[in-house]
Amino acid sequence: MVGSPLSRIDGILKVTGKADYSLDHPIDNVAYAVLVKSTIAAGKIREVNSAQAEKTPGVLAVISHQNSPKLNEKGGIRGGALLQSPEIKFFGQTIGMVVAETFEQAIYAASLVEFQYQEASPQVNFESLASKAMPSKDREDEKRGDARAALNQASLKIEEVYSTPIEHHHPMEPHAAIAEWEGDRLTLYSSAQIVNGAQNSAAKTLNIKPENVRIVTPYIGGGFGSKGGQWANLVLTAVAAKVAMRPVKLALTRHQMVNSVGLRQRNQQKISLAATADGKLMALAHETTTHSAIDEEFVEPCGDCSKLMYDTPNSLISYRVVPMNVILPTYTRGPGKSTGSFALESGMDELAHKLNIDPIEFRLRNEPARDPSNGKPWSTRATAQCLKEGAKAFGWEKRKAQPRQNEQGDYWVGHGVACGTYPAHQRPSSANVLLKREGSVVQATVELAAADLGTGTYTILAQTAADALGIPVDKIVVKIGDSDLPPAAGSVGSVGAMSYANVVNDVCQKATEELIAKSGKQFFARPTAAQLMVSEKIENFQSSVQSEAPASAEEYSSHSFNANFAEVWVHKFTGMVRVNRFLAVTGAGRILNPKTARSQIIGGNVWGIGMALTEESAMDPRWGNFVSRSLADYHIPANLDIGEMEVIFIREDDTASNKLGVKGIGEVGIVGVAAAVANAVFNATGKRVRELPITPDKLI
Amino acid sequence: MADIIFTIYYSEPGQDIDLSVTENMKPFKYTRATDAASATRIAAENPNAKFLAGGTNLIDLMKEDVERPDELIDLTNLTLSQIKALPSGGLSLGALGRNTDAANHPLVRQNYPLLTQAILAGASGQIRNMATNGGNMLQRTRCPYFYEVSMPCNKREPGRYEGASGCGAREGVNRNHAIFGWSEKCVAVYPSDMAIALSALDAIIKVSTPDGRERDISFADFHRLPGDTPEKETNLETGELIVAIELPKSNFAKHSYYLKVRDRASYAFALVSVGAALELEGSRIKQVRIAMGGVAHKPWRARKAEDYLIGKETSAENFQLAAAAEMAEARPLEHNRFKVELGKRSIVHALEMAVRGGKS
Repeated sequence: MVGSPLSRIDGILKVTGKADYSLDHPIDNVAYAVLVKSTIAAGKIREVNSAQAEKTPGVLAVISHQNSPKLNEKGGIRGGALLQSPEIKFFGQTIGMVVAETFEQAIYAASLVEFQYQEASPQVNFESLASKAMPSKDREDEKRGDARAALNQASLKIEEVYSTPIEHHHPMEPHAAIAEWEGDRLTLYSSAQIVNGAQNSAAKTLNIKPENVRIVTPYIGGGFGSKGGQWANLVLTAVAAKVAMRPVKLALTRHQMVNSVGLRQRNQQKISLAATADGKLMALAHETTTHSAIDEEFVEPCGDCSKLMYDTPNSLISYRVVPMNVILPTYTRGPGKSTGSFALESGMDELAHKLNIDPIEFRLRNEPARDPSNGKPWSTRATAQCLKEGAKAFGWEKRKAQPRQNEQGDYWVGHGVACGTYPAHQRPSSANVLLKREGSVVQATVELAAADLGTGTYTILAQTAADALGIPVDKIVVKIGDSDLPPAAGSVGSVGAMSYANVVNDVCQKATEELIAKSGKQFFARPTAAQLMVSEKIENFQSSVQSEAPASAEEYSSHSFNANFAEVWVHKFTGMVRVNRFLAVTGAGRILNPKTARSQIIGGNVWGIGMALTEESAMDPRWGNFVSRSLADYHIPANLDIGEMEVIFIREDDTASNKLGVKGIGEVGIVGVAAAVANAVFNATGKRVRELPITPDKLI
Repeated sequence: MADIIFTIYYSEPGQDIDLSVTENMKPFKYTRATDAASATRIAAENPNAKFLAGGTNLIDLMKEDVERPDELIDLTNLTLSQIKALPSGGLSLGALGRNTDAANHPLVRQNYPLLTQAILAGASGQIRNMATNGGNMLQRTRCPYFYEVSMPCNKREPGRYEGASGCGAREGVNRNHAIFGWSEKCVAVYPSDMAIALSALDAIIKVSTPDGRERDISFADFHRLPGDTPEKETNLETGELIVAIELPKSNFAKHSYYLKVRDRASYAFALVSVGAALELEGSRIKQVRIAMGGVAHKPWRARKAEDYLIGKETSAENFQLAAAAEMAEARPLEHNRFKVELGKRSIVHALEMAVRGGKS
């Protein structure tokens, strides 16, 4: 089954509305909570007047910092806003909560709670603050050789700044939870990419034991990093339920999503590259200036790709950060790599053009034999193969080397290429398998606290278990998304598939071994667990295991790699860009299910095209409020913006990283995409846009 | 900040409902009108009432707490959805006809392809299926400062910001805002695509008045510039109801084009749009109409460009000079200077496309 394009086993449930997302969980006697948000970005709450809201029929409680239960602000909930102090640190910070019998009553009463502020001057204008950025506390400068000296001496070089705007995750399912207390025990029905992480941070913040918190998250309507760490809304739902003494539902509105669950910060990335005339890179500097929240640092690692993509004797990676009155930035769609590769791969394209070398050839000339950042051998590195096979499939030889040479009616046509990478790490996870026989029919249940973001985790685990046990896939039940199940890694950082598939395979293999031992027999050919259950007439059998990456993984540098090819049509007069063709070629180890994998890569590609052409959360530089708050303003590409999309996987056998040879595809699909599009726009028009998104105004 | 959800209380026309039990939320009365006369009468009696047709804009704005009517007068039982050929050779679009039906009607496609293109360039299929022709004329701006109740806005809350400008966008994020005809009180743009085509086609808005009369408003006089009263967007009087939109007979079908420039190819409002229509004698311009969207508080007729082109040849140079004449009047804001160049290019390209009969 593994490697076959099985359709999602949860697909029917989803398209018929039977998959219960967090708020769909049926629950009796439920009350509703609604958040109240600040309308200033910096200052203090002087006064709360909740009298009118409290008098409103149906209202059960109005909670602010004045009467909130004491919570542990260092319990692992991200972004603060836990109603513990009168401080206001960003616009739209949660400053109150109303609980009522009905949603309508709660939302109306929330509009009646009055807050008086003592306003401070907000730090929200990145343009004017960027010059004050200081070295990052979390990310030290990384130097090899002397990039500065090499750049100073070089004559063939580029030095350019590439900017990316604030972006938001905006999953289809906004964050929402149901909280239900039974004595000291709390159950939270909520979307969590890291099931056990949500359990621990909720427990610590609420000052209760983790074993008293259960997270139930069977289906997740997307997360893109915003449901990795958990935010105030999760524990505030529990607080509301405690105060109201009954189950409570709390859902964020789409508008509240822009200042409740993190964001991708703005980055100004200076790329400096120097090369010899025959295209050998001599220096690479990647210097990022960005902002964080006013009181806490999070910096996405924009220099990560630059550390290892190319062979160069001199390298410098640095981060400078300025605090700003915005919600804490967080992991977002290929954190650091998607934005960082836009800068690096645009720079590579600029230098290739300057050197008059084909951009594919330029990259091939700088392929590193080992990981330049740590000297380790690659477990596998598919970059060269991705470039070569991609070039063939895409028809790269037809590309005009010089820009503005390919005119089709009212359009300039251009072709661009860019590479990407994302690390591959198997994370510790545990799992149970439960085997059950009725007559000659054996079925199995695999259990682990994994999370399915909607990408196909249920399906690949059923396939893995089916192969490992010798049981048809329709006789496998996959139970995930519940912290009562054996602890497992999160569905974050592209670790899900490889961590989960390996532990499921391990527990199934272990059960088989134990059944062989139990039979006391010797076999010429290893029987399957299913055969043993029948031959040994066993009715029920179960096994558990904990797995982690093999020791060999540490000796290698393990990453997924890709090459992206874009064909754009730029309207000559209006500057509108259409991505007419897009091809992603990826080397990501063993592909467990080519159908769900293809969908996931295409999803990443579309987000990358959005990063290139449309996505931006515009903020008012005076007040710090976002003016793009809905999906009508926050543009994600529509069908008309993109033509044909093609996905190719390079066959790879990478058992050094993990036993099954699986690498992640969750993030690599977006890495290198924006640069491929921007490079194609340059090839089409001769205009180099270094500030995303590439909207029509930048091309006229 | 909070979103407001409403509960609807049903009543028959003229029958009051007891609001005392509904003080736990924002109540409004729901009235189902039976004909235009009753609709206008009820609306004239209650200046805080709003007509409800497709609801694609009004209901959104009520959820955002931007619109706060205390009565909705549902028009969907009125028989105002027909599309009729007029004896004069023109066409009448019923106010309650759906946008999708107007765009696809054979007489519209044949005689007014500019209108078909403009309607189909707006919103999404689902929204066009709900939205009505009359309602489309009354779409409100998508200015984000208008939409967020914690931001200052003279249009949303006239009079509240006495003294100061009160327009959040004037010195805020104003990339999508006006370059023509704005005032210190308001720099918002009008969002409809359909209306840009209607402006170019010199449509007439047929209105039913509360005293039972009908009156005509020429399209140019229908929408207003913001001035000191940005909350007043049209010249409809209290209680007046749009009953039809009339298109005069036109000779533009062969040479017209609607160009919409936007940040993505569908489901986005225009940065700049141009509806261009030409009547040619050989290569000489006998008649020309140019209307622009995304640049002003109302559909912007490019009269200077039109005047320049009458009687001239359809040359690239003439189109450029005409566009330059129009855009010389533009007063861009901090973030929308690009609209001046984009406007020029869009006028020229729309005219060229119109000459080519829409074929690129």
